[in-house]
Amino acid sequence: MKQINGTAFNIEADILGRITLKGKSIFSRKDEILVKSDAKDLPSGYAALITNSVQIAGRKPCVGNVQTLEDFNEGDVVLINKKGEIVFLYEIKSLHNAIFATERCNHRCIMCPQPPVAEEKDKTPFNLKLISLIDKNTVEIGITGGEPTLIGDKLFDLIKQIQKYQPKAGISLLTNGVKFADKEYAMKLAMCKHHDLQIDVPIFSDIADEHNRIVGAKTFYKTVQGLYNLALFHQRIGLRIVVHKQTYKRLPQLADYIYHNFPFVSQVAFLQMETAGNANTNLEELWIDPYDYNEELKQAVLLLANRGICTRVYNAQLCVLPREIREFAVNAISDWKDTYLPECEECKLRQQCGGLFASNQKHHSAHINPNLEDITASACV
Amino acid sequence: MSENYKILPFRFARFNESEYLLTNDVGEYIFLSNEDFEKFINKELDVKSTVFQDIASKQIATTDNVEDVVNMLATKFRTKKSILRDFTSLHMVVPTLRCNSSCIYCQVARKNMDDHEADMTKKTAKNVVKTIFESPSPCIKIEFQGGDPSTYFEMVKYIIEEAEWQNLFKKKDLGFVICTNVTLLTPDMVKYLKKHKCDISTSLDGPKELHNTNRPLQDTTHTHEKFEESIKMIRKICGNDCVSALMTTSKYSLGHFKEIINEYVRMGYNNIFLRALNPYGFAKQYKEKIAYPVEDFIENFKEGLDYIIELNKQGTFFIEGYASLLLKRILTPFATGFVDLQSPAGVGIAGAIYDWDGNVYVADEGRMLARFKDYYYKLGNVNEDSYQSMFNGEKLHHIIENACTECLPMCSECVFQPYCGADPVRNYSEQGDMVGHRPTSDMCKKNTAIMHYLFELLKKHDPEINRIFWSWIN
Repeated sequence: MKQINGTAFNIEADILGRITLKGKSIFSRKDEILVKSDAKDLPSGYAALITNSVQIAGRKPCVGNVQTLEDFNEGDVVLINKKGEIVFLYEIKSLHNAIFATERCNHRCIMCPQPPVAEEKDKTPFNLKLISLIDKNTVEIGITGGEPTLIGDKLFDLIKQIQKYQPKAGISLLTNGVKFADKEYAMKLAMCKHHDLQIDVPIFSDIADEHNRIVGAKTFYKTVQGLYNLALFHQRIGLRIVVHKQTYKRLPQLADYIYHNFPFVSQVAFLQMETAGNANTNLEELWIDPYDYNEELKQAVLLLANRGICTRVYNAQLCVLPREIREFAVNAISDWKDTYLPECEECKLRQQCGGLFASNQKHHSAHINPNLEDITASACV
Repeated sequence: MSENYKILPFRFARFNESEYLLTNDVGEYIFLSNEDFEKFINKELDVKSTVFQDIASKQIATTDNVEDVVNMLATKFRTKKSILRDFTSLHMVVPTLRCNSSCIYCQVARKNMDDHEADMTKKTAKNVVKTIFESPSPCIKIEFQGGDPSTYFEMVKYIIEEAEWQNLFKKKDLGFVICTNVTLLTPDMVKYLKKHKCDISTSLDGPKELHNTNRPLQDTTHTHEKFEESIKMIRKICGNDCVSALMTTSKYSLGHFKEIINEYVRMGYNNIFLRALNPYGFAKQYKEKIAYPVEDFIENFKEGLDYIIELNKQGTFFIEGYASLLLKRILTPFATGFVDLQSPAGVGIAGAIYDWDGNVYVADEGRMLARFKDYYYKLGNVNEDSYQSMFNGEKLHHIIENACTECLPMCSECVFQPYCGADPVRNYSEQGDMVGHRPTSDMCKKNTAIMHYLFELLKKHDPEINRIFWSWIN
């Protein structure tokens, strides 16, 4: 997540608040954090102050010595702590905001970019407050983790909170689907009656043992049952396949398997692997130059697309992808992780290109070449 | 022999000298070399090998808990058979037997234009519609057959309006089709059909000479010209896609499939259904005049299909309907409704026909048999019998019990079983009983040969052919 550091003054506990540059009326400042240059003191009523000044008077919470005030936008939501770290939990200008329901997980994926924790205190009250501070016109909010269903029915509280505070927002729920093998739980999700909810479920192989080995748990058939139950309640489902050395070989067979067993899904996404967390630790077993799985990826994508299933390729660099499937590429890397290489500067496709995960700066395809002609990029509806 | 994997139910056949074709109940398939097949059934395959994983991916074998895999197969099987859930949706109605054509292969005791003996009465029509709306199906398609229903258009209108009235309360997805040679349709009639969302289905057997040989009108030698004129008029009123056409292969059509296909393209069609003649119950000497060995049809069909694929390759989007139906069964997990090739057979439970006199038959061919005083396939009469007694009576139960390829001799072990269907009426009329005798069945010969050919094409893994096939399916 995007983070800016400064010097903390008078901060004892974490402060969650919404950024305001122009200031708010005295009656609605309680959760606002004022960002103001050359400020010496904090007007009363605000939760905290962020400023570039180094000299702060008074006893109110403040992060001083912040040199990049232009990085703050009216409506961002941040968490500041006593170390003077300002963490962006919501960026109003981003389309990739997400709520981390929990950092716990019942899977141990070998390529997990954010390895789970064993214990944590309930994050739901904090998340409910966070959602209440998010801009009401937000169009898309992710719910992710960890495994969000591990918080049980509190997941539905999060969804209902989003319905209340961001009535127009679509929700993308990233889950391994295991919990939905419980039909009643799937039904409860359906009962939230969210108008624009997509449940994104990763699947790694058409062979149960392979999938189980990759996720570090024997859950393949639970995930299958979860998908069936979600479909039973007419939930919109997306499938996600992270492509790496252990999954690329059977991509065409997996695509065929998906078509035959889960033809009800609304979308299938193939994702280039982010080399952070476990993926970095297990790099030797996982890394393959994306260029080297182009043939399998192409077959899988075209197989599904020809069969009328909306298919996408995430996190891929257009210059590395085969021409036939470039139109399926979508730039979906969270803004704070998205980077480009120096050679990307002159590329004509840079605007449409997914770029690279910041963590992939070291590990990227050897076939990145600036593209000098135009192509048409399109995505499915 | 190790017990490292479990084999799930599948059917197989030697496909050619070096390969076996395996299929399972839900229609997934895989080709295996003779060597791999031997190893597979002897449980000698390495479960980490690509070939074993490919078999497991199709759920023909597994290393997992069998129950988990069977659950998935059951879900797919329910999807494949989901047509059954709705019960009868196609209801064919014969308003009259009058007709102005004299097609050489006509099997109806058609009446002359001025002979009103076989016209449906309003009372019967009302009871027909009432019976139709007792069907639990959420979709009701009423198809007018004949005779030529346009010769008694007043009755067509009466039935359409009666059905629309009933549907005000039943709120089903109601549709109409009229099967007609189109030559008697006037612009006013066409406007009426358009207004009431009634599709028009006609017959086109090929270029002028062939069409006129197969389907001459009674009062003119200019059948094809009149036909073309009417089609133009209809398209002008309802647009290009509102009138579909069917072809029937007579003896005279053989050797001319290319010209027939070209005629369809010339007439602006983007599909054809290359259909063999079903010579039910013809007298022997008559049969010889128009019928032909099924092998001849098969050869012609293959040539026709090749030609159509060639057309597509050259950029003309054109579908062969029968291949397209079978491909959908072979390549997709979805159910396909096609009354003539279902298991259980569609007779009565997917389609039924209501004759002019109110008699209800399980299929059009049952009506043909009744012409020869054989009323075996008559379920009852709308003026006398209740819906329950006809559609849930012992007779229909008995017919359906004998019409599942899953348990018919030879079908049950046939590698093409998941894609095929049973036809008890045809077995009965051609072979003397509903179960039939596959080794001498023309229908079996035709279907297995066509499916074998489609699998040969699929096995080529030709991306262009595959792309064409998918363009037909979608």
